[in-house]
Amino acid sequence: MEQQLSDLIRKYKEGKASEEDLQILEKYIETGEVELEALGDIYRLYQDLDGLETPAPSEKMTGSFYALLATTSKTKKARSQWFTNLWISVPSVRWAYTFGLLAAGIAIGWFFSPNGQDHTEIHLLSAEVKEMKEMMMLSLLEKESTSDRLKAVSLSSELPGASQKVTEALLQTLNSDENVNVRLAALEALLPYSSDPSVRTGLIASIARQESPLVQISLAETMVALQEKNSVDPLKKLLEREETPAEVKEKIEESIRILI
Amino acid sequence: MLKVKDGQVEQLGLLFERYKKILFGFFYNMNKDRDLSEDLVQNVFERILKYRKGFKGDGEFKVWMFHIARNVNIDAFRKQGRLPGEDLQNWDEKLGDDGANHEQQMAHSEEMKILEMAMARLDREKREVIVLSKIDGMKYKHIGDLMRCTEGAVKVKVFRAMQALKKEYLKIQAAV
Repeated sequence: MEQQLSDLIRKYKEGKASEEDLQILEKYIETGEVELEALGDIYRLYQDLDGLETPAPSEKMTGSFYALLATTSKTKKARSQWFTNLWISVPSVRWAYTFGLLAAGIAIGWFFSPNGQDHTEIHLLSAEVKEMKEMMMLSLLEKESTSDRLKAVSLSSELPGASQKVTEALLQTLNSDENVNVRLAALEALLPYSSDPSVRTGLIASIARQESPLVQISLAETMVALQEKNSVDPLKKLLEREETPAEVKEKIEESIRILI
Repeated sequence: MLKVKDGQVEQLGLLFERYKKILFGFFYNMNKDRDLSEDLVQNVFERILKYRKGFKGDGEFKVWMFHIARNVNIDAFRKQGRLPGEDLQNWDEKLGDDGANHEQQMAHSEEMKILEMAMARLDREKREVIVLSKIDGMKYKHIGDLMRCTEGAVKVKVFRAMQALKKEYLKIQAAV
């Protein structure tokens, strides 16, 4: 039997296998008694296939996917709004819902004691969703299209307490995005995190890096709103710059006066 | 995937990041068209979103995803009518434009081109079984699930496809 098999393989390797031999060989392959590795040339060719190059997919593909995901999430939200509409237009629904909820609350409170595990699960889930949104936002921020980057910045406002990674990305956008609108949106998105010392420092450092009058004025206004006295020096430097427009200088002088 | 099925569609991003390269590689090795392959990856994820309720969770997500990918690929082939790269003449031209510097490198890249060409000349089923068997972590059993046949039958399919590939390879090599 073994002899017959090795004869068959030898014949195959020498290219002398008949149709009938091939059929027998296939039977052995099907049962796993002969593997491709044993078949010489054909296996070498199979291995050579690993050398065929496959390019990496482009960033465009990733962008399109996240755009698709964002649209799907929005549609899902819109669908869930039918109840809100019903709620507003039919007052009896409001009453029925309120009483129903009250009754259910009492019943649940009566029969069950608080369960810590559920809370943990909910926390875990919201943490995962938050992480997902952060990932989407960071990926959109790298897109070429301005509207994608604006979308990314506005997405950050949906995050309940963004991570340092997000605030750093927003600061980076504020400092280096080529589009003024995106930079302004990034500044606005950073305001809720202004109590974070690293964000404050980042905002102050950003003053010296801005060339657009609109962003310069917005930053000066932000510094006044935050009562950030450490910003006086960089604002003064901006005043000294020759290329700073007169209107901006006026605004900055006013801001410095308030801050001092 | 079960989370996606339950409505947490944002979770699909994790699966996309995990499988985008494998899926793109599958399509690219089937059609050698980068833009088309990217579009097809997008089509697969669109279908996953659309038919997410159909994922039973009793098998591997990857196998379910490739079920969809195969259908998307078949649709694309039907639309195109013919396989790109089937034309022997084009490949002859391709082999010709190599301004290679090192002889060995040139020989290797020529071998690869012949191999690519031989692959392109296989029929879709044969090429598909080879491409699938080359995907990392894709076992014969998984391919059997995809093709609705036994693991042994997949082994025979791979063998036959490789036989055909060798035949095409030698034919091209003799012609060039």
